[in-house]
Amino acid sequence: MATQPSVLSGFIGRHRTVVLGGAAVALFFAAWQAIFLVLPFNPLFITKPSLIAAGLLDLVESGDLFHDLAVSAVPFFLGLFGAVVIGVPVGMVMGRRVRIGYALDPLMTVFYASPLVALAPLLVIFFGVGLPGKTIIVFSLAVFPFVFNACAGVRAVDHLLVNVVRSLGGRERDVYLKILLPSVLPYIIAGARIAVGRALIGVLVGEFFAASEGIGYAITRFADIFAVDRMFACILTVMVIAIALTEGIRWAERTAFPWRFGQ
Amino acid sequence: MAEMQTLDLELGATSGTLPATASRQRIESIALGTAAIALLLLIWELAPHFLPIKAGTRLFFTVPSRIFATLWEMFSTGSIWAPLGVSAAAFAIGLALAIAAGLPLGILLGRSKTMNAMLDPFVTAFNATPRLVFLPLLMLWLGIGMWSKIAIVFLGAVFPLLINTHEGVRNADKVLINVVRSFGASEWDVARLVILPNSLPFIVVGVRLAIGRAILGVVVAEFFGAQDGLGVVMVRAASSFNVDIVFAGLIIFAGLSLIMTGLVRLLEERTSRWRPQRAANE
Repeated sequence: MATQPSVLSGFIGRHRTVVLGGAAVALFFAAWQAIFLVLPFNPLFITKPSLIAAGLLDLVESGDLFHDLAVSAVPFFLGLFGAVVIGVPVGMVMGRRVRIGYALDPLMTVFYASPLVALAPLLVIFFGVGLPGKTIIVFSLAVFPFVFNACAGVRAVDHLLVNVVRSLGGRERDVYLKILLPSVLPYIIAGARIAVGRALIGVLVGEFFAASEGIGYAITRFADIFAVDRMFACILTVMVIAIALTEGIRWAERTAFPWRFGQ
Repeated sequence: MAEMQTLDLELGATSGTLPATASRQRIESIALGTAAIALLLLIWELAPHFLPIKAGTRLFFTVPSRIFATLWEMFSTGSIWAPLGVSAAAFAIGLALAIAAGLPLGILLGRSKTMNAMLDPFVTAFNATPRLVFLPLLMLWLGIGMWSKIAIVFLGAVFPLLINTHEGVRNADKVLINVVRSFGASEWDVARLVILPNSLPFIVVGVRLAIGRAILGVVVAEFFGAQDGLGVVMVRAASSFNVDIVFAGLIIFAGLSLIMTGLVRLLEERTSRWRPQRAANE
């Protein structure tokens, strides 16, 4: 579908988009800063960009921000890693073996549809407020996108390719490694984009509940002491990280599998 | 993206197979699915008889029969209705507001490139961020109670709706739009005749995603800042080691989520049923 002119106009359009988008964001922050010239300013409930910047600088200089981020990053990545290692093989087998798919599909759907964060209080009581509890919350939220996307990826594989490998004497292992895994990769990356969001929810829930450090804990602590400027600094940091992660994955998708973005 | 892909796959699968094998496969899939769930429940139920469980662990351990007994008790005594009603109200109001805001904005962003370019950074930023991060802030602004709950449900549900509507509007067939325009249609006619029917399946998918997000929003908001609601019941139960009630609450939330998304899925099939047929008629 993507013909030469649409690529070209897309290129120009993208620059237009960047300019317009950047202007809108700048305008937003400027308006935020300026509106308190008119409206009364109550530092207990609202803050302005200049104060947020000062708060952020303060947090960076004292090293608190990086400490909290580092603490939160460990369960985030451990949980995500576990989710990939377990979720992708399970999903691939579900997609390849029709009957296993039949058996596990409803179960997985129930788990995926149920708000598993609801188990967070139990997990926290059971595994404690530290690393294991948070990692397990992250894992249980992040694993299902990998399962479902790996499964959908395997089901979308061209059967002709499987038959060719079989005809040429390939074994089941060859089918998995030579055909299924490469064709499932784009789906896994797409799943990772969803899983990253859910993993962030997991970290935040774990830290909102009961923690003594971590970025989620920092946000609740600053909210409790009405330090709105530093709370906003932490919230914006989380937003930037979330955007960087999802957009980074999107970029990886576009560069590695450009044909999926043909239309 | 994966969402739409599975939709296409399902359509292809049902239209491609013969009725006889399709029904046999259907029976097999239902039987195997039920069997797997039954097996899991059975293992869970029997686990304490085979595995030695420490006294400390027993405090957090429960079996399905006790959970279902608790669930039955909650419904038979009617103690569930008051908190469930509070949660349902927050869910419904938040979702309704999200639909009321998400659809028009989605159509606007789909139709106007300038508006899209300007608002896209905000949409991307908010959609990428777990909305949970705003909960402490919302509690500070709106207080503990109904409004912070509604706000978090709204924030969770509005973006899937907005983004899917936008996607649907953008994917409308350019040729059809040009044809309708050539026959002298106004912008309103274009929207009514081409864009709305075309984006309806996308919107329905958006509603389905939004329902899941909205339920998540209710649960999370009630966990951290609320005085009543099903989530509050669950947290109180968890802190007094009443594990049965936690699981019963989870089952209620999961059940409601499954029923609602199932209904929307039916609607999804209904709204996209005409697509392959129309393609065949042309």
